[in-house]
Amino acid sequence: MADSMLPITGARPRGAWRVARSVWFAMFMREAISRTMADRMGWFWMIFEPLAIIGVMVSIRGLFMSGSEISGADHVPWMIVGLMGFGLFRENMMRALGAIDANKGLFAYRQVKPVDTVLVRCFLEGMLKSFLFLMFMLIGDLLKFELMPDHPLGVLLDWLSLWALGWGAGLTVSVLGDLVPEFGRVVRILNLPLLLLSGVILPVMYVPYPYRDYLLWNPLVHGLESMRVAFFPGYHTLNDIDMTYLWFWALSLLALGLLLHIRFAARLKAH
Amino acid sequence: MIDIRHLYKRYHNHHGSQWVLEDINLSIPAGVSVGLLGRNGAGKSTLLRLIGGMDTPDRGEIVRASRVSWPIGLAGGFQGSMTGRQNVKFVARIHGANDEIEQIIAAVESFADIGRAFDEPIKTYSSGMRSRLAFGLSLAFDFDVYLSDEATAVGDRHFKQKASEAFKARIGRASLIMVSHGEGVLREFCQAGILLDRGRAFWFDEIEAAIEAYHSAGDGYAPPRPATPRNLEEAKRALAEANVRFDAAREALDAVGDSAAETAEPPEETLRWRLDDARERVHEARRQVQQFTARKGRKGGPRGQERPPVNNTSPDKTSAKAKRS
Repeated sequence: MADSMLPITGARPRGAWRVARSVWFAMFMREAISRTMADRMGWFWMIFEPLAIIGVMVSIRGLFMSGSEISGADHVPWMIVGLMGFGLFRENMMRALGAIDANKGLFAYRQVKPVDTVLVRCFLEGMLKSFLFLMFMLIGDLLKFELMPDHPLGVLLDWLSLWALGWGAGLTVSVLGDLVPEFGRVVRILNLPLLLLSGVILPVMYVPYPYRDYLLWNPLVHGLESMRVAFFPGYHTLNDIDMTYLWFWALSLLALGLLLHIRFAARLKAH
Repeated sequence: MIDIRHLYKRYHNHHGSQWVLEDINLSIPAGVSVGLLGRNGAGKSTLLRLIGGMDTPDRGEIVRASRVSWPIGLAGGFQGSMTGRQNVKFVARIHGANDEIEQIIAAVESFADIGRAFDEPIKTYSSGMRSRLAFGLSLAFDFDVYLSDEATAVGDRHFKQKASEAFKARIGRASLIMVSHGEGVLREFCQAGILLDRGRAFWFDEIEAAIEAYHSAGDGYAPPRPATPRNLEEAKRALAEANVRFDAAREALDAVGDSAAETAEPPEETLRWRLDDARERVHEARRQVQQFTARKGRKGGPRGQERPPVNNTSPDKTSAKAKRS
């Protein structure tokens, strides 16, 4: 009985790269299934949640700030672009924050490293958000919302930059949040101020002149405004928008996050 | 072949804290099954986790020149909202299976034998079903060395039997490193032994020697080696002895439980294991006695060995009657 049920897997030991690749693939499939299928109506909420947020935000704006116009852009598409870009960054960061803890049981298989869980989650999150954004653009265009980018390539580049920034933040935050639980709490609290300070709801042009310099310290402002410039022809924004500044942040966070993951790999696995 | 070189491990990485394992140097040859012995907190499970790569040593290294499993029967890696099949697929993918996935799934499905629940989410499983799945999963892969920790390997008796048979079928191709307090299990599966005592490790080529050393390192209590009796008299004497030992073990455990409940748990744990072992031996001795009595009864009956004795058939009739009524 026993002998017939022994498939032989990999007679030779696999190289490190092949092990990592098969772990990523396995984790990706697992995460994708549990994100989309395991929850009841997982697909529905994935699409409906951002729609609802956009709906709420747009109606709030309509109620309180009707009449105030954004130069060069219709305010519904303007807000959709901002919310999608910000959501990409935030979801990457927040999903990564819980990644290590949620997959603790998997470290029993020594092939799985803590960093794999974060990388796979961020990748999946980015893919889902990209798919959603494309879908919104298509549907918006069909509804005559002017949701087609003026410079698709520019939008793509800015989108990828925001993704990289979220990825870097996720890698860093996942380690710190696991080692110091209070850190995760602080990051969660900072979510809302970050939303307000990134020019997602309030146009940056409304900010009084003396404070604009401080606003520009936030890399998200650069990413979001640059994406809107690429999206809407004739959109007018601050002069000092600079994607190099965002990439400086993104690469620093990526490097820091990876270093932290190497330094604390054993600690992250252990507890 | 697993080489452990200058291995140090401690938890709570403060400089004052004690080493759980201190300068361990071992080399476990290929094809030799090893039992890990030691008192509670001696670092048996820690060493097993280190060998399995689930934990990293503070100093030193472990060189694995063979494929080493995760601890057999470990169910921690299961995702509750996914089905048994999906979880098995995941583990197979981690281990680099591409074309063999279907084969592995079929193997686990037939071994775990949980029927249609295989396609239900794991969170609906009972703990028994969970451990069946986990066991089947471990045994579906062809590892050179399997790790087994009694703390993780749970399951009902019948299933344990099935698992140990499946394992015995691959002795020669695979070996086992196991942590267990049950001396019977260690004797059954292991040839060599490692004794862990105060952070140090001692290698024994014979598991018997390791068990003896384990007892002499403790409080000097040493149960006799199990011997197979040759006739009914010896078997009866063994049973009586086993009974005496069992009573003594129970009294010792009761005494500790009465006098100092909160002072020290480790000795109490040891006594509990000792009691289990004694109970196991009583069962074994009783089985021997029954065997001899049965054989004697057959000898005393009619001479013809080919024909089944009359008194052997009568219980069947009575049971048939009982069923009918």
